[in-house]
Amino acid sequence: MQRTVSSSPLAPSVKVKLINAGFHTAADLVDLLPLQLCQEAGISQEEANEVLQALRHDSRLCQERAAEGCITALELLHCEQSQGSLVTFSSELDAVLGGGVSVGKTTEICGTPGIGKTQLCIQLAVDVQIPVCFGGLGGKAVYIDTEGGFLVQRAAEMARAAAEHCALLAEDTEQRAALEDFTLEKILSNIFLIRCHDYVELLAETYLLPNLLQKCAEVKLVVIDSIAFPFRHDFEDFSQRTRLLNSLAQQLNQLANQQQTAVVLTNQMTTKVSNGQSKLVPALGESWGHAATEKLILHWEEDKRLASLYKSPRQMEATVQYQITGQGFRDASVTLELRPCDPPPSVSYKPHPPSPSASAPAWNCSKRPRVEAQHS
Amino acid sequence: MDWGRLKLNPKITNAVKKASVRSAKEILSLSGPDLQRLTHLSKGDVHLLHSAVAAEYRKARPVTALELSLGEWPSLEPGHRLSFACPVLDDFLRGGLPLNGITELAGESAAGKTQFGLQLCLSVQYPQDHGGLGTGAVYICTEDSFPIKRLRQLITQQSRLRPHVPPALIHSLRFSDNIYIEHTADLEALQTCVSQRVPLLLERGLVRLVVVDSVAALFRSEFQADEAIERARHLLAFSRNLHCLSHTYGAPVLCINQVSDLVDSPNPGRCDYGLVGSKVLPALGLAWANQVLVRLMLRRQERCLRVGGQTSTVRSLEVVFAPHLPRTSCLCGVWEEGVKGVPREGLREKPPCPI
Repeated sequence: MQRTVSSSPLAPSVKVKLINAGFHTAADLVDLLPLQLCQEAGISQEEANEVLQALRHDSRLCQERAAEGCITALELLHCEQSQGSLVTFSSELDAVLGGGVSVGKTTEICGTPGIGKTQLCIQLAVDVQIPVCFGGLGGKAVYIDTEGGFLVQRAAEMARAAAEHCALLAEDTEQRAALEDFTLEKILSNIFLIRCHDYVELLAETYLLPNLLQKCAEVKLVVIDSIAFPFRHDFEDFSQRTRLLNSLAQQLNQLANQQQTAVVLTNQMTTKVSNGQSKLVPALGESWGHAATEKLILHWEEDKRLASLYKSPRQMEATVQYQITGQGFRDASVTLELRPCDPPPSVSYKPHPPSPSASAPAWNCSKRPRVEAQHS
Repeated sequence: MDWGRLKLNPKITNAVKKASVRSAKEILSLSGPDLQRLTHLSKGDVHLLHSAVAAEYRKARPVTALELSLGEWPSLEPGHRLSFACPVLDDFLRGGLPLNGITELAGESAAGKTQFGLQLCLSVQYPQDHGGLGTGAVYICTEDSFPIKRLRQLITQQSRLRPHVPPALIHSLRFSDNIYIEHTADLEALQTCVSQRVPLLLERGLVRLVVVDSVAALFRSEFQADEAIERARHLLAFSRNLHCLSHTYGAPVLCINQVSDLVDSPNPGRCDYGLVGSKVLPALGLAWANQVLVRLMLRRQERCLRVGGQTSTVRSLEVVFAPHLPRTSCLCGVWEEGVKGVPREGLREKPPCPI
């Protein structure tokens, strides 16, 4: 918004005098009094008046234009509510996250190997495609795999299970029609996989993401699994790593915000020793801790898998239990289904009241995909 | 890099040349503002430059999971796995060893880890229709010398282990000619082997399986307890090499690992992978675990199994984690002809072995 004096709509002779006197931008001038200006720049008082009037008018226009880009908090609230969020297929975790993984924000999932980070990511890549009439987002997913953990066999299992869940829930004709586009082949064809083998390839892909997302506006989820793997190899110079990670974080936040997609990153854990006590902390250092808007830590306790919301600007910290079944990421309270089509005989499922921030118009609790037991 | 190849405004390419930036890697590693400062280009131009270089650098376009499942991208998703030469074990591991990534097999001594390594070295030599990859294996020994006698025995027993493979095919394979054995006595030798000799064998198509027996031995013996950071750095370099080789050549990597005892009470700094009640955990800690795609654990049990005049201690093969496998276990035994899984229904309890 900074206008230079030379580009201002002023007479050339006046411009030259102003620049010679050291005034280069409009901002240098607008706060001056006419008398000061005519003394400093050696122009007549009339000319000084004209200059100031012209520039002030101009800068007001700029401010108005800038104001158009601003929105009020109320508008932002409506905007966020209409976006909906990305369900995880675990109603307890959804409640903790305020309806699911936020669209338009970055979410980091940290955890030790084998805890289920990749499982949750694949689950999200399937869930993002749940048709809108089922309370989903009806989007597509981009999956950047740096560890080689995305196995299409597993994605197919989860996709089949998700399609079957929705088939059990279909009530009206609209939903049945939507289901025709929610098949295994369709789901798999809407997950775009990118494999990166080192950090430079990952950086290259992040520069290309905005273009990809502009071309394909239905992409509502970008997964990077994991961010830690390429950045924990081969870095002698830790200050360079921090710099690269910071700029990457900024790009991803911008991407999430501008394209209104959910960005999900996974991170490894590392052991930190302080005061003779060791504990597990997310990898990549302190400054990376600020990168993601929301942070979820998955961890073991005895033989239970727990998910803890560690950082969130809108939800309370909380811990819930989950399990990973053949169908994917599920609530721990749902008993294991033996056959995918067979609803379990008794399920201790308590429907969660939708949390305030999740009360999006499209969100219908009774249509949640995982309550198959109630429809059996 | 030849900047002329990028379809960019000459103004931008000239600025890049003037700023003496040489490689695409350098450009991609510089943030927008840094690059602006270096080249004196505007924000929009830098953005164009970044995307053009990134597009040039990228090796493959995004592919859909459907294309992968149809097998259109064998380099990204090979679709088949390396068979263990036993239908029970193959069923348990859904086809066998994944071709891309590091598979770890951890277990106490005498659990039978090396037996698995040897069996895979033979099974990889069968053609693809019989679960192999039609080429040889490289076996890196860091602990004992290579068990050549046992290998010979396994080779003579191949037709017993694999009754469904035509005997003519088995006789036509020259098993021992296709196993390259490397002995590495120290860490430096191991690194040279993995970074120079193994890539050469893979490049020439002589091998497509790498077995490291074991990873723990050198990393545990060469570092003191207080050199954890140095150890982690070497481990990362080593695993990065293996990871790259595995993905470049679609070659499975099997790393045999030792276990360490749990002596203290549970502490928050230890990750036990939910293995409650286990007295041992795979060695080398979290730094190594983060590099592993599939972690299997082999445990010796206190009972025996008798099949056709042979007895074997029962072992249980357990999936600790894997992206495509549930957390289950499967019983197996080590026989003269090799390792075989025990079908669930065919299991009869036997009294403990007299030792």
